[in-house]
Amino acid sequence: MMMHAMPEAGATIASGIPVEPVVRLKGIGKRFPGVIANQDVDFDLVPGEIHALLGENGAGKSTLMNVLTGIYRPDSGEILVDGQSKTFGSPVEAIAAGIGMVHQHFKLVKAFTVAENIHLGWKEAPRRISKQSLEARTTELAASLKLAVKPDARISDLSTGEQQRVEILRVLSRNPRVLILDEPTAVLTPAEAGELFRALRQFVALGNAVIFISHKLDEVLEISDRVTVLRGGRKVATRMTSECDKRMLARLMVGQDVVLGNMRTRGPDAKPISPNSVLSLLNVSARDDAGDLALKRVTINVRPGEVLGIAGVAGNGQKELSQVLTGTRRLAGGTIEVGGKDLSSAGPDAFALFGVGHIPEDRLHSGLAPALSITDNVVIREYGKAPLSRGWVYRPAAAANLARSIAEAASVKILDFGMPVRNLSGGNQQRLVARREMRIASNVLVAAYPCRGLDVGAITAMLRYFTELRDAGVGIVFFSEDLEELIKLSDRIAVMFHGEIMGVVDAAEVDIEAIGLMMGGQRREPSAAGN
Amino acid sequence: MMVMRVQRMPSESFAGGLAARLVAIILALLVAAIAFAWTGADLGKLGAHVLKSTFGSRFGLMDICLIMTPLILTGLAVTIAQKVGAWNIGAEGQFSAGAFAATSVALYVPGPAVLVLPLMVVAGALGGVIWILIPTLARAYADVSELITTLLLNFVGILLVYYVATGPWLDPSGLSFASTARLPPEIPLFWGDVHWGFPLAVLLTILVAVVLNYTRWGYEVRISGSNPSVAHYAAIPFRRHLIVVMILSGAIAGLAGMFELAGTTHRLQGGISNNFGYVGIMVAVLARGSALGVLLGAALMAVILKSGISLQTQGVSMSTVIALTGLILFFTAIADELSHYRVVRPMRTEN
Repeated sequence: MMMHAMPEAGATIASGIPVEPVVRLKGIGKRFPGVIANQDVDFDLVPGEIHALLGENGAGKSTLMNVLTGIYRPDSGEILVDGQSKTFGSPVEAIAAGIGMVHQHFKLVKAFTVAENIHLGWKEAPRRISKQSLEARTTELAASLKLAVKPDARISDLSTGEQQRVEILRVLSRNPRVLILDEPTAVLTPAEAGELFRALRQFVALGNAVIFISHKLDEVLEISDRVTVLRGGRKVATRMTSECDKRMLARLMVGQDVVLGNMRTRGPDAKPISPNSVLSLLNVSARDDAGDLALKRVTINVRPGEVLGIAGVAGNGQKELSQVLTGTRRLAGGTIEVGGKDLSSAGPDAFALFGVGHIPEDRLHSGLAPALSITDNVVIREYGKAPLSRGWVYRPAAAANLARSIAEAASVKILDFGMPVRNLSGGNQQRLVARREMRIASNVLVAAYPCRGLDVGAITAMLRYFTELRDAGVGIVFFSEDLEELIKLSDRIAVMFHGEIMGVVDAAEVDIEAIGLMMGGQRREPSAAGN
Repeated sequence: MMVMRVQRMPSESFAGGLAARLVAIILALLVAAIAFAWTGADLGKLGAHVLKSTFGSRFGLMDICLIMTPLILTGLAVTIAQKVGAWNIGAEGQFSAGAFAATSVALYVPGPAVLVLPLMVVAGALGGVIWILIPTLARAYADVSELITTLLLNFVGILLVYYVATGPWLDPSGLSFASTARLPPEIPLFWGDVHWGFPLAVLLTILVAVVLNYTRWGYEVRISGSNPSVAHYAAIPFRRHLIVVMILSGAIAGLAGMFELAGTTHRLQGGISNNFGYVGIMVAVLARGSALGVLLGAALMAVILKSGISLQTQGVSMSTVIALTGLILFFTAIADELSHYRVVRPMRTEN
């Protein structure tokens, strides 16, 4: 670095000027019991670039970055910072060397204020502190870095987007030259993501560098200068982003061609959509956990053999709707008919008995018992039926057999079924929950954000399963925040805003912009495609 | 360069966990030995004495069985409550209430032992149930922490026993200050001084283990205890399981009090609970949620307590022994954490 002048803003690798990498990883290997997380990975990062790290779940992206930031130590290979070999014993040493990371799950103390979190464990925090001084310092810092935060707000009161801004501010306050972001847009609205991208561009314009971990192809193409693709723990390729397109990146990532496109087309022997609805809500209202009205007089129906998409910005009543549809939340008004029976005051057992499967939004908290074994978790829908139970007797051996077959169908490799389910990756948990629910969904499947946290390959597989269920005559309610995905799969799309249905539209006829307007609160009169 | 490294594993092996615990116990004993040696005690003599008074004689083994009986039950009470996600810190109070209730039957219900003893068993369990009922309902319906409520009721239970044993039910013969007269109904003897409460406690533990692992109810309890929201999602009645299991826990602890009364002390004495409820928490921690582990945990604690009693004749105070149990718990907690780590050899760096 001494030999080279600091590159000018814009003198990225794209401009063809050779630059000394600020970080270089050589032959990194990291092995966990039974898993090779990284093997022989080379990676370099030059000042002034945003370098995307792309890969499916379990491809080794997070492991590689945890190695770089000192959370893990590599089993083999070398880390060079400014051309010098380094060993980081902890993230503190990495940040001292100018490498900071914004994790997917924020490392913030929820009960502390923004100012307290910023100063926590920071060498430069003054020895004698007062609320005022911390907040004043935070305000100053936020202004200098152009990241608006409320210094006196408690983290627990902030939205996820605001929390992320605090996390970024905290990392930036340590003056890093390298900023690593692990799937930063997963929790952001499109507008917040745009803001983040602007901040990142400013950051690299100063000669710093960013590593951007993602599995979303669109945003990788939008934000990055170069992209490195990992698959199965190995590096597949590093390319200039300008030379890439979506299809090619998807192929590199998955290792095969991924078929994107219309999935509404039914198979040749698919059952036709029945005109009679299998599940219908009439003027249904419901309260959220805080007691506020989250669903207001919602009327929708689900027909056997169709996919009803539910669109909307997160937090507009989707969670409550998915719970009402499965009997896990009580109604404050209105009626629910399931299979011709009034289940308005029934519990989840009646819904499950009728064959309503439920892939919940937050699988770890409401779909799984994290501390219990994988077997205990995947048999939760069938433990009371033969062959798992005969009368009062529960048979662990039969449960283990069922668990094996569910894991196999979900293509999740499991070495030890007695291991707590929380030890599995989020993607694998999701696959198991989805498979488990599809088994009981003989009439209806309510899938709340089933593709969240999954990669392209897994999403395609998941949507395929849904089309199979649909073709078999199951009515599917599909919640998603990805409009493209919704339009691709749904027959009809209902758009939610502030707990109300803004309209139900035919997915074949509508465009993304029209749905976007409804998501913003513009009502649309029921079309012919609606009810 | 080959460097050995330690690495945290997501789960630990059974053998590893067991070995770590053994090491922890040995370390605790070692620390105790150092402390004894430092105060000038003759370690060889003390050790020989302990061995002789525990495993070395028929009477030692009998005493261990007698101490184990209440510990198995209180440990089981804590373990079963843990299964449904509740901390029953109140086994001490439920134990006292069980002993109290059984005494009232023995004092006021006339009749042959064949009839009175079963009634005392029912009364003992019922006493424990009454003692845990309010914490149970408060937890189930108002989400009041059972940790606090069960703990506080311990003092009420212990003092209730003191009150009746020194006041209304005091031995009229005047030979005792804090005890009732000898109560005639006695649990028959099983082996030497060991009453049938011991095999019954073991059987009950096996029964609970079987029910938890091999019934639908056991599965539902496991799910409820681990995550109430997922229980609701799967239409498992969490609240009902919570109430039933906590009541069962209280009943088992109450039964421990009855067994101690009618099998070992034969009088309701002030302080009859003798920390069995609290040591039961340790037994449960050592058992790590396994009903069968309770048997091992109780055996270990019984040996330690018995050693403590016999060491008192050698000038070692009971406080020292209680401190030793604390050391064991302390080292066990460390061992449990360390057993998640493995020593790994790094892969050879290629090229």
